Amino acid sequence: MLSRIAESLFWLARYIERAEDTARILDVNYHMLLEQSQDSYQLRWEPLIVMAGEEKLFRRLYSEVNAPNVFEFLAFRQDNPSSIIQCITKARENARTIRDCISREMWEDINGLYHMVGRFDPRDEIIAGPHRFCDKIKFGTHRFHGVTDATLPHDEGWQFLRIGWSLERAEMTSRLVDVQYQNLLDELPSVGTPDNHQWMAVLRSVGALETYHRQYHASIEPEKVAGMLILHPQHPRSIRFSTTEVQSGLRAISGSGLGSYANEAERLAGKLVERLRYDKIDEIFKQGLHSYLNELADMFALIGSDIAHNYFYYAVVA
Amino acid sequence: METAPVRAIAAGLFTGYDLGHFYDEMFSSPGIPRRAYATIFQRLASMAPGQFEERRKLADLSFLIQGITFTVYSDGRGTERLFPFDLIPRILPNSQWQQIDRGLAQRVLALNLFLQDIYGKQCILRDRKISRSLIYSCPHFRREMVGVEVPGGIFTHVCGIDLVRDSKTEEFYVLEDNARTPSGISYVLENRLVMTRIFPDAFHACGVLPIDHYPAELCRILRSLSPRGEDDAQIVLLSPGIYNSAYFEHSFLALQMGIELVEGRDLIVDGGIVFMKTIRGLQRVDVIYRRMDDEYLDPLAFRPDSLLGVPGLMGAYRSGNVALANAVGNGVADDKAIYAYVPEFIRYYLGEEPILRTVETYICAKPDDLAYVLEHLPNLVVKTVGESGGYGMLIGPAADRKTIEEFHNRIVQNPRNYIAQPVIPLSRVPSYDVSTRRLGGRHVDLRPYCLYDGKKVVIVPGGLTRVALQRGSLVVNSSQGGGSKDTWVLRGEG
Repeated sequence: MLSRIAESLFWLARYIERAEDTARILDVNYHMLLEQSQDSYQLRWEPLIVMAGEEKLFRRLYSEVNAPNVFEFLAFRQDNPSSIIQCITKARENARTIRDCISREMWEDINGLYHMVGRFDPRDEIIAGPHRFCDKIKFGTHRFHGVTDATLPHDEGWQFLRIGWSLERAEMTSRLVDVQYQNLLDELPSVGTPDNHQWMAVLRSVGALETYHRQYHASIEPEKVAGMLILHPQHPRSIRFSTTEVQSGLRAISGSGLGSYANEAERLAGKLVERLRYDKIDEIFKQGLHSYLNELADMFALIGSDIAHNYFYYAVVA
Repeated sequence: METAPVRAIAAGLFTGYDLGHFYDEMFSSPGIPRRAYATIFQRLASMAPGQFEERRKLADLSFLIQGITFTVYSDGRGTERLFPFDLIPRILPNSQWQQIDRGLAQRVLALNLFLQDIYGKQCILRDRKISRSLIYSCPHFRREMVGVEVPGGIFTHVCGIDLVRDSKTEEFYVLEDNARTPSGISYVLENRLVMTRIFPDAFHACGVLPIDHYPAELCRILRSLSPRGEDDAQIVLLSPGIYNSAYFEHSFLALQMGIELVEGRDLIVDGGIVFMKTIRGLQRVDVIYRRMDDEYLDPLAFRPDSLLGVPGLMGAYRSGNVALANAVGNGVADDKAIYAYVPEFIRYYLGEEPILRTVETYICAKPDDLAYVLEHLPNLVVKTVGESGGYGMLIGPAADRKTIEEFHNRIVQNPRNYIAQPVIPLSRVPSYDVSTRRLGGRHVDLRPYCLYDGKKVVIVPGGLTRVALQRGSLVVNSSQGGGSKDTWVLRGEG
């Protein structure tokens, strides 16, 4: 497989995942805030900008952080490189450069998604609220996963896709926990119980509310929520699960067996998986959630660049 | 045998259809279809405009979803335009096609022999059938190719030869040769696919010859070129990349042939061998179907500023370590001034009379021709010799005085760069006019794709029919607002 193809598959998957995660977070945040007081309503849009990593750009484009502005910024702005519409465009652009290497169904699916997204009129959607739009994105990206799974041979190309979206998902979940926890913790009323609704919203945004209920039954506790999103062994959006996926994908490509590694990316992924396997949530809090998640973020970045060095880039030969 | 006129047409798609003063491919006289078109005419005539419009939209949607589009990158996002497709097929009865097929095969053989000769012994120059100065002044003549032995002696692996039917003589003429990197075959194949979905029953009823063996034929030829033998041949298609307007075709062909689509940056030359960069290290490449012009192929040999090419590729090619299709230097054969000599090539190399006619051509490099051309510009078509795609053209009768003057000056400054031909009244085929929702006669040409394996020429029946969808327009190029039609060659006469 050409290095360029592998790289395009990797990024195609990352962009698809980023579009979905952004849509999920937007949608859930909006609905959570419908039941909040006006003050916090304004306040709670801030973290989304932080999560997307585009605070500076937002400040340059808008004077106020409010629902319509954030929605427009994260969903439709062409000049925001992380907006949903930009992610879908770039995913499709990557697919276009490798359309001879993916299935016809995959190409037609992502091409259809791209054209569908382009038909939305931002003005109408901002009035209607994010649900309709975000739901279409979620549905569209899920369908792409399904089409990919069902029509692309599960060979090394498929593994690069798997690594791409798992790595992106691990990063996004990590950022979600970090930002929301910080924010919600600052807000905790000094007396009384923490605001269950907001934590439920966090769980809902990664589709983990039902899993949480099944595991812990009714009571929603911030530590447990964070613990689940970081350490759950089976939930497809937990950091541990996603990191394990990255590791499995890397091993499938190199053919490394258990307990061994063929390159630096595999070594780091393996190390991280073991850490997530044996860490406990109260240890994480003892270290400090923010510093812990920061370490994970560094690891994800390293794994990403090691994959690139190992599989995508060739040193220029003089 | 002609079919009786159908009364129902008064209210249908053909309402007000005017044959004009042109040869109409469908009708021999008003309301009377030619034999080959009889079946499709009956079907169309009995179809309500709404029904037709519905099928047309279905076809458009199908092209859009498949991403068979042109991209205009001006707003950073990329605006995509559909390559307009017209649902009314262009039909050729078998006997007419046989004649075309023989004529094209003869022409391709002669062009290939000419290229072998001109980059080899140059007998044709010694025998003074064509002047040295005309060859050496050709912008696409490549000195780097002199003395190079190309694999199998094949230069013209793929040729797209443009034909038109003259309304006056009702005969086909060769309008130009494309012996470098002709494009459009993907539209031929995709048009067919869409048509079989939209008019499934018509194909069987009419007896249309299949065309889908093209990729397999091309791949067979590419494989045969491999310097390491056919079994291990690593074949790639070299594309300038996603921003090239023919990119869809590149990926389409790579997929259909099951070969790797590469860009220049995917390849590297080391020790005279071409490799591609894979996730498992470097892998040797044997055959390159390149869809990139000569001058971009190798910055060491040609344009030093080209970032699309592969440094050292020409060296590897000359050493015989990699095969290129088409060969480098073919531009000397499809130069529009050389075009006038192709009938002579056929006589000289094959000892045969040309089967297909060519259009009378004035070569501005010749003083007599130049004088005539300058005097008759408003009645002539002027073409730049090295251009293709409808660029650098003057259509005298349609041009204003200022444009004619401009061309006059340009020709005087550089006569070698121009040729002129009489305006040919192209034949027409009924085509759908979106604004009137009726059919109108529109001018067409035909580009068959000829594959040459060193022994015989294989041509898939038909080719790309391009249509000037603008009323009255003679320019069929997609870059100039043209569209295309599915082309049917029948098993019989209809």
